[in-house]
Amino acid sequence: MTGSGIEIAGLSFSIGDFRMERLDLSVEEGEYLVLSGPNGAGKTVLTKLVCGLLAPASGKISILGRDVTATPPWKRRVGYVPQDSPLFPNRGVRGNIEFGLEVAGVSKAERRKTAEGMAEKLGIERMLDRGVAGLSGGERQKVCLARALVLRPDVLVLDEPVSAIDEESRAEICAFLRDEHERTGVTAIHVSHNSEETAMLADRMARMESGSVAEILAGRKKSGSGG
Amino acid sequence: MMWTPLAAYLLLILGLLGAMMGRITWPAVRTAFSDEALLAAIRLSLETSFVSALLSVLVAIPAGYALSRSRFPGLAALDTVLDIPIVLPPLIIGLAVLIFFSTPFGRWVDRLNGPEGWIIYHPAGIVLVQFLIGAAIAVRVVKAGFDNVDERYENVAWTLGANRWQAFAKVAAPLVWPNVAAAAIISWARIFGLFGPVILVAGTMRERTEIMPTTIFLEISIGRLEVALVVGAMMVAISMATLIAFKKIGGKGYFW
Repeated sequence: MTGSGIEIAGLSFSIGDFRMERLDLSVEEGEYLVLSGPNGAGKTVLTKLVCGLLAPASGKISILGRDVTATPPWKRRVGYVPQDSPLFPNRGVRGNIEFGLEVAGVSKAERRKTAEGMAEKLGIERMLDRGVAGLSGGERQKVCLARALVLRPDVLVLDEPVSAIDEESRAEICAFLRDEHERTGVTAIHVSHNSEETAMLADRMARMESGSVAEILAGRKKSGSGG
Repeated sequence: MMWTPLAAYLLLILGLLGAMMGRITWPAVRTAFSDEALLAAIRLSLETSFVSALLSVLVAIPAGYALSRSRFPGLAALDTVLDIPIVLPPLIIGLAVLIFFSTPFGRWVDRLNGPEGWIIYHPAGIVLVQFLIGAAIAVRVVKAGFDNVDERYENVAWTLGANRWQAFAKVAAPLVWPNVAAAAIISWARIFGLFGPVILVAGTMRERTEIMPTTIFLEISIGRLEVALVVGAMMVAISMATLIAFKKIGGKGYFW
């Protein structure tokens, strides 16, 4: 870990009764930060602010040293996996995974190769030519992950990516995330309520409460490796 | 039990059509099909109604999306203004168009092409009144489609590098295709038979601004009821063929 992966400084935002005031949070480059906290603490709001899907009232967000506060989401290079795996229903599995590459103007042959490589890593290569309607929760989430990761994003933002799927798929996806993180060293923020998931993945844990970071703890992964 | 109201309603429609068809005579059919003015009216009816329905849908897609996704003070008022052409009697719309084009600005617009004008008493006037009513309906139907498309699809598309236009064109718009087809069907069906505002704005000049609904009026007014009924039967046949084609193109949506 060399520099700042995600730097959040003095971030304020409000919507309805929810208030986030002058939130500071720093995620080192290559670090895997797990964000936890009760419902309504502001975890999802924070992930959306990092992705650019919500605009802060004040404050600054930097990604790999680049101020992205006023940058639109399509230029931030953030891989986003939201809750409940919203796959585009008008596209099949392959069409979903290739979406970002298609928008970026990557050739069809290259798109195909990249999507197949990522699908193989996630064990969903046999589903590539299927529609998305009949996929299980675990399969949907793997397609979501593949769709975000094929673009090799600068940072990864995962909002409860495995909260609504079965135990087996959860373990599989967490193992994949751990390996992928170790291999690529991508900076990640991962929202989770699950202690096993946190133990397996977190370099550090941040607990949010009422729109602010209440506590930051070293993760077991980091403690275990002496980092 | 459940089928009884449907059967009764179908019988009513078929009864009316049967009564109409029963009055049609072969000489009237021959007269209608050998009348150049009537054939011109059929052509103009089809041309104006299809152009108006197409324009309505072309406006409805971006307008429905903007209304569905925007949040700003006054949005409800704007939304209500768009409903005015639906709830107003069509004759009032025709009258409003006529009054607008009698103002200095309206006259200037009408005479952009020369002193004879190009809207009032011209086919463009027919398209204008048809579009005014058709677009309001189309916007409503397309907006309902976008309201049912989860905004998260576009949010995810943005994070995958798609700008607003790409997210709209590649993600949101394809998901409302059944609504777009339904908007085309409903707006076309509404404007194909439009009579009052058309006769006010464009008149009914043979082979110039005469369309099928105004032909029926003209034929009745000169006592050729059987020929008017032939035109009516042709409108039924054209409507059924067009609606079936639209439905085939649109696929299975919730409107049918």
